[in-house]
Amino acid sequence: MTDCLLSARGIAKSFDQNRVLHGVDFDISAGEVVALLGENGAGKSTFVNILSGALPRDGGTIRWSGEETVFRDTRAALDAGIIHIHQELSLISSLSVMENLFIGDYMTGRSGFIDRKALAARARELLARVGAAHIDPRVEAGSLSTAEQQIVEIAKALARNARLLILDEPTASLTPHEAEALFAIVRDLRANGVAIIFISHRFDEVFAISDRVVVLRDGRVVGDRPVAETTRAGIIADMTGRAFTFDALDRPAISADAPIRLKAEAIADKGRVGPVSFDLRKGEILGIFGLVGAGRTELLELLCGIRPLAVGSIMRPDGVVPGNSTEAWKSGLALLPEGRKTNGILPSLSLAENVAVAKRQKSGGILDLGAEKSLFARFRDSLGIVSSGPDQPIRRLSGGNQQKVIFARCLASEPDILFLDEPTHGVDVRTKADIYKQIQDLAKKGMSVIFVSSELPEVLALASTVMVLSRGRQTMLAANQGLTENDVLTAAFAQA
Amino acid sequence: MTGSTVVRFVRTRREATVLAMLILVFIGLTFASEFFLTGRNLSNVARQISVVGIVALGQALVIIAGGIDLSVGSVIGLSAVTAAIVSAMTGMPSVGIAGAIGIGMAIGFANGVLITKLRINPFITTLGTLSIARGAALLITNGNPQRFDNWAAYLGYGKIAGVPVQFILLVALTILVWLFATRTRWGRNVYAVGDNARAARLAGIDVARTRILVFTVSGSLAGLGGLLLGGMLTNANPNLGLGYELDVIAAVILGGVALSGGRGSIGGVVIGAALIGLLRNAFVLLNVSGYWQTITIGLVVILAVGADSLNRRSEED
Repeated sequence: MTDCLLSARGIAKSFDQNRVLHGVDFDISAGEVVALLGENGAGKSTFVNILSGALPRDGGTIRWSGEETVFRDTRAALDAGIIHIHQELSLISSLSVMENLFIGDYMTGRSGFIDRKALAARARELLARVGAAHIDPRVEAGSLSTAEQQIVEIAKALARNARLLILDEPTASLTPHEAEALFAIVRDLRANGVAIIFISHRFDEVFAISDRVVVLRDGRVVGDRPVAETTRAGIIADMTGRAFTFDALDRPAISADAPIRLKAEAIADKGRVGPVSFDLRKGEILGIFGLVGAGRTELLELLCGIRPLAVGSIMRPDGVVPGNSTEAWKSGLALLPEGRKTNGILPSLSLAENVAVAKRQKSGGILDLGAEKSLFARFRDSLGIVSSGPDQPIRRLSGGNQQKVIFARCLASEPDILFLDEPTHGVDVRTKADIYKQIQDLAKKGMSVIFVSSELPEVLALASTVMVLSRGRQTMLAANQGLTENDVLTAAFAQA
Repeated sequence: MTGSTVVRFVRTRREATVLAMLILVFIGLTFASEFFLTGRNLSNVARQISVVGIVALGQALVIIAGGIDLSVGSVIGLSAVTAAIVSAMTGMPSVGIAGAIGIGMAIGFANGVLITKLRINPFITTLGTLSIARGAALLITNGNPQRFDNWAAYLGYGKIAGVPVQFILLVALTILVWLFATRTRWGRNVYAVGDNARAARLAGIDVARTRILVFTVSGSLAGLGGLLLGGMLTNANPNLGLGYELDVIAAVILGGVALSGGRGSIGGVVIGAALIGLLRNAFVLLNVSGYWQTITIGLVVILAVGADSLNRRSEED
């Protein structure tokens, strides 16, 4: 195609040894809206980050307006008119809307001071173009709603003469009404010749506004069709049609008379997740699947007492329902949180301490440091933690080994229910296999496990029971017998 | 320790840099002044180190937990006058001692509660109580120094076998706080909370209680510091301890505690306090203007921390 605004050929990218993109071809013309779809980890974010100059590519070429180009950084891409609006908005909340709109490019008068009148006038013009004339450009950006901030981001893109706009899940935190207003703006931009790449997990939106649907799977383009020739089922087939990367593990059936460890009845918090109901039995592995933002982490927090319960009830055999994380660990729950760096490791503390920290909270005041070191040694052997010794600070370990240490922390507290939030996130294949094996063995010995994962094959291989959340609602709860990826994904995309 | 581990220790620990400085200053003073190694001067130095050291022990716990306590100087003033007034009023010096430590403990506890329950930043909270405690000390005394010469004051001026009582207290408290910080659950929780509070909370540590605990300890030790300082002078001035928080924080930082929390040793803090005390003594002995003291202590802090962060950078790369 010669009239392409942007034409990417053979884009490749690896992180360490992990190949994320294998030669992606992608075209977009002026005035076209292309939906980019794929499972978590399919390479969508990596790909658009390469387009917007945020990541360097390892191979392939990009032609921009017909000329071969390399964007060294986001600044270069911005100057060319490629604007990437991230899921987490980037407005500076303490500055006014108009300052945000023209940040880095304030109009100064002859005096050298910012000409606030001219700035406000241009800001109003831009806001009017995106149908947001009601926003006062002089108010602080932080005082606006999320939807308004999103619109200001788009106005900011216009201020920079956007020619290609990348919207990464723009509707994730908008109400349907707000989303509709956003689409009106998108259609208007399209009519004015702006090209738009639209990343979303919501099929109804994809069908509503895009001209073409491109599906990525495992870093390859597996589908590229006009929207008229696409169906929901076809997209799901494209997204999932992969062979299992590991064999289904042996899953013992949970008998209906196994004792119940935890019973949740229509539990919900204030708006992010629920109602959710389930029974968890001894030796059961409950796998929770859902898209990012479906409320999975929130559900675990609810069950561990970290997030306040708004309605419903949780029952435990001993009658103790924890009200905070300290009580949770004491009552026999253990949590491996999502986000190893921010929520998991105590970076300067030793490996032995990182393992012992939760167990300590249940015992007396004086510590037996020798016993803590041998505790670590036990898990080092059983989990295969590679380290230089129990006194090494955990920050020196690789991500996979850090994850094993946090896993050891959970096991050391001898819980009867183990909560794992994305336990294999960012760990290599080998460590993954180790962790799966551990979970299986623990369940066989009678521990109950609840784990959250974005990786569908992982859920299907490991779980004895599968729960699916979609926008906070429970859309599936089924024994993992004969379930297919298709069943689970359909539930994950369901309009609950 | 083999030779290479000694080199590594010296290169990677700020305490070691400061210990080296301390030894250098000690040797230098031994030769520079014939009065330095006299019993009388050494016990003066010991006194000078004691109060800064005792208060720094509490401050170190606060900073390791990721906070800061600016109120300690004012607590010293308030607790000194409290000790004098309460023991005069009741006629029982023991009640005066309890009152001094109790008022410090109460302010520390209040700091902790304001920081954890109302979520006011520790800097702001303790800046506020710095002002409040000093104002209260001036208010209850009407700005007048109080006589303080009963046996409670003995803790400040007394000596046992030629060693100042307050120095013995420093040694005892150092051992106690060191045991607390390294061998008890609550002490290790202090490190965990300062290192990564979110992760600590998710691992079951009661973060709020840990923070309240360290501020309470810091306040109590500052209360004891006020008692000792007032006792040493046998006179409780409401302006006692003015600006003391800066010496205390300097001692903690010199001792190798990271201002960002999570790292630091109790032994190092005492070394830091000793260096500051020794420097102050040096200026007196060498008859250099007192104004140079203040400048030098500032320079030493920057030098020690700078050397340490240069070392650390080469270590991390």
